[in-house]
Amino acid sequence: MSRHNISRRGFLKLAGASSVAITAGITGIPSPLKASAQQEASRGARFLKYDRGVESPNFCEMCFWNCGVNVYTRKGIIHKLEGNKLNPNNRGHLCAKGNAGIQSTYDADRIQSPLIRTGKRGEGKFKKVSWEEAYKYVYKKLNPLIDEFGPETLATFMHGTGEPYPHMLTMALGSPNITIPAYSQCMGSREMAWALTFGTGVSGHETFDMANSKHMIIFGRNFAGAVQVREAEDFAEGLARGSRLTYIDPRQSESAVRATDWLQINPGTDMALALGFIHVIIRDNLANMDFVRKYCYGYNELSEHIKKYTPKWASEKTGIDAKTIERIAWEFAKDAPNVVAIPPRRMTRYGNDTQTVRAIAILNALMGNWGVPGGIFIRNKVPVDFPKEEHPDAPDARRADGVGEGEKFPLAPPSLGRTNGIYEATLTKKPYPIKAWLLYGTNPLSHSSIGVNSLYKAIDNLELIIAIDTQFSDTVMYADVIFPESTYLERYDAPYAQKDKTPFIALRKPAIKPIYDTKGCFEICKGIAKEFDLDDWFEKSPEEQVEELSQILSKEQMETLEKDGVLLFEDVDPYPNASGSALNFSTSTGKVQLYVKDLEEMAKKQGDDFSPLPIYKDPVVPKKGEFRMLFGRTPHHSHARSQNNWILLELQDDTPVWMNPKDAKKMGFKDGDMVSLVNAKTGHKSDHSERLKVTKRIKEGSVFIHHGFGHTTKAWSRGYEKGTKENWFISDDVDPLSGAAAFHNGFVKVVKA
Amino acid sequence: MSLIHKKTKKQKNLAMVIVGDRCIGCDACYVSCKTDWDVPAMKEAFRTKVFEVEGEDVHGNPTIGFLPTLCNHCDNAPCVDVCPTGASFKRDEDGIVLVEPDMCIGCKACMVACPYDARYYNEEEQTVDKCTFCLPRISNGLDPACVTTCVGESRNFGDLNDTDSNVSKMLKDATSIYKLKEDEGTSPNVYYVTLNY
Repeated sequence: MSRHNISRRGFLKLAGASSVAITAGITGIPSPLKASAQQEASRGARFLKYDRGVESPNFCEMCFWNCGVNVYTRKGIIHKLEGNKLNPNNRGHLCAKGNAGIQSTYDADRIQSPLIRTGKRGEGKFKKVSWEEAYKYVYKKLNPLIDEFGPETLATFMHGTGEPYPHMLTMALGSPNITIPAYSQCMGSREMAWALTFGTGVSGHETFDMANSKHMIIFGRNFAGAVQVREAEDFAEGLARGSRLTYIDPRQSESAVRATDWLQINPGTDMALALGFIHVIIRDNLANMDFVRKYCYGYNELSEHIKKYTPKWASEKTGIDAKTIERIAWEFAKDAPNVVAIPPRRMTRYGNDTQTVRAIAILNALMGNWGVPGGIFIRNKVPVDFPKEEHPDAPDARRADGVGEGEKFPLAPPSLGRTNGIYEATLTKKPYPIKAWLLYGTNPLSHSSIGVNSLYKAIDNLELIIAIDTQFSDTVMYADVIFPESTYLERYDAPYAQKDKTPFIALRKPAIKPIYDTKGCFEICKGIAKEFDLDDWFEKSPEEQVEELSQILSKEQMETLEKDGVLLFEDVDPYPNASGSALNFSTSTGKVQLYVKDLEEMAKKQGDDFSPLPIYKDPVVPKKGEFRMLFGRTPHHSHARSQNNWILLELQDDTPVWMNPKDAKKMGFKDGDMVSLVNAKTGHKSDHSERLKVTKRIKEGSVFIHHGFGHTTKAWSRGYEKGTKENWFISDDVDPLSGAAAFHNGFVKVVKA
Repeated sequence: MSLIHKKTKKQKNLAMVIVGDRCIGCDACYVSCKTDWDVPAMKEAFRTKVFEVEGEDVHGNPTIGFLPTLCNHCDNAPCVDVCPTGASFKRDEDGIVLVEPDMCIGCKACMVACPYDARYYNEEEQTVDKCTFCLPRISNGLDPACVTTCVGESRNFGDLNDTDSNVSKMLKDATSIYKLKEDEGTSPNVYYVTLNY
């Protein structure tokens, strides 16, 4: 009998089954409708079949972490995504976002063909065009701009696995203005501090050995809430094995609830706490002096410098009891070297971020935890010689974003650039006019882009906005020409090689043909390049690069990769220090730099912010009646990529405003009141009202909302205007060393809606 | 109700053992499950769900905990007892409670009877639907969808009649074990444990 069988329903209607059934349920009297013997026998047979379908290898693109994915397809339709058990990024698990990747592919709101704008910018009126027309449009618009302003008038923003291709295109055209938002909007300050101290960044795939740690001091890196699968696993595993957890955050996050000590610190004072810990460790002779003598530079300078930062002083700054600071420093040192102090991932907070992470880096160095289980593991390169691709020479033109020698941020890496610098240059036309943007998978208008308050004005200065994306994000709606990219389930990408504890190569092959008229980023960029006669730079397609692997890897390796979707290189040592091998640090002194000599000159000219040893400075604080605006990730969404995904919206589609009960009382608010946020500096009022969540989980004086909501793109039938966009309420301050953003210096008023 | 419930010795005693403090509340299970079983696109429709429980400790400090929930596949299942057609039934061989869609008349009596809110009404199919312990998957050598994806490795699945199984060992080693609403006499087969290793 079919599940939709009308006669079945007809039968039930006649029998008046519903009322009978409920009566039967309540009284427990066996029903006259009980199954016949025949029905009894066939019951449940359907539950024994499971067609897994065809398996294809992939890695996730719902966030930047790139978990290994096995895609299961039944009759040309993707049925299920499952984690690849052998991929070290996720060991078989996927998070909510990763599991929901199918819904993003089968989304009728996607960009379905190349488009050219017909209405006003942002109005959302486009006409469908052929690929040729779209390519020619770019040439027709961009070429005169290059002639008039030079190729550097083009600025490119990239986020996603297809990054090499817009990069190649921009280089070939001759512009140096290539930026990756992850630097100035996320990890920039952390990476710079780590590099100054250890000669290498933490990297996107972080090197904290949490699963083996005995004590983690975490400065607000929400591993359980801002989920990257392996890290969430390691975090849970370390705790299950009995690691202590000191968690420092003005907000009680999903991770803070697991802490041995949750320290609800005054926002912006993390450096004072780290300095307090260091003071106790040096004062009480608790540093790992074997490691310090052998590998560290500047211990004497540090010992002298740290004297003034007593626990009592740190307590006054941080609001954390001095005795607690002493106790935690002792406990941490007791378990050294199998301990780790972890800076945040998105370290774009208070404008003292680089120096704060410097203090955290020093705290690690004093424990001698580099290359030790439970401390900081060493990443190893994939030991394979991939054929070197030819690149155009680096463009001569000066960068527009303040990055490079002789510029405002000489230490910032040109390979990543400063998106915030590009926004500023676009707005001010200094040092020269930026007239065209190429956006690949990025969405400045929505997502924590510094200077958002003036970003709409900056956009008015642009003659051309080119977007390559899978979805109509808020910013894509402002584009003049749009190239629809195939999703990660529909396309090849180049073999993915990850430098890591266990380095590996992973494959991405399309599980299905593109549903709409879309292409991979390689084909799109090559198509644009062809108009400029630059397509020779685009030699091998991703598919050809995958095929080429069989010439690079051994037969056995190739078979493993084809069978497993991933190839591991396990013959490496992530713990060289514990194994007794000598360590190398690629800093200017060749040592771990407690004291950074490289900064001496800058410090003399530019002051304390550039000090070779971190000097504490009080954070800016909100005025009376204002609140500090804090925001952070939810486990259910990753930036714009997930925000129109129905299954993830079921899990979260709003952004309640968290407020401390004491503040709520002062304001005369109660839990559940509808409120709006007003930017204290710009006066911008949220056009969306939110439910007030009164909770001790947020520190007095601050409010919190989740990141990534409040989209204005009407092309999204589900994600449109869900929640509040934090972008309107964050600050456009910058960290003076890294040039990365300082979002949490934004202040708001909270008003009844 | 137990009067009409036929109790037989199960060949297998399938159970879910959830390590409470390993759940990080990421909701991967919710999505994995909905996707695998085409659970309709509405918040009210789910076979498993994680609740975030906010509270305060004795010192007045805020706490939160995560409570993953699913069908408890009760040995004494009220949903089976109230079903007028026999569509809801408990398998003798392993204790899994199922709804046979061909026999379900959509009366929702089982939804009222279930103390765990483990069932929902599928408007498209006009039947009640619920967790099957992923019977189609486990019949084909796979773990349940939620267990497979569980990031914190909080969820564990297996046969309690097999003393060597992972779940048997966990129950043996657990420092605390509880089941939801045991006082209702349902004899649930989802265990929440604390482990000390």
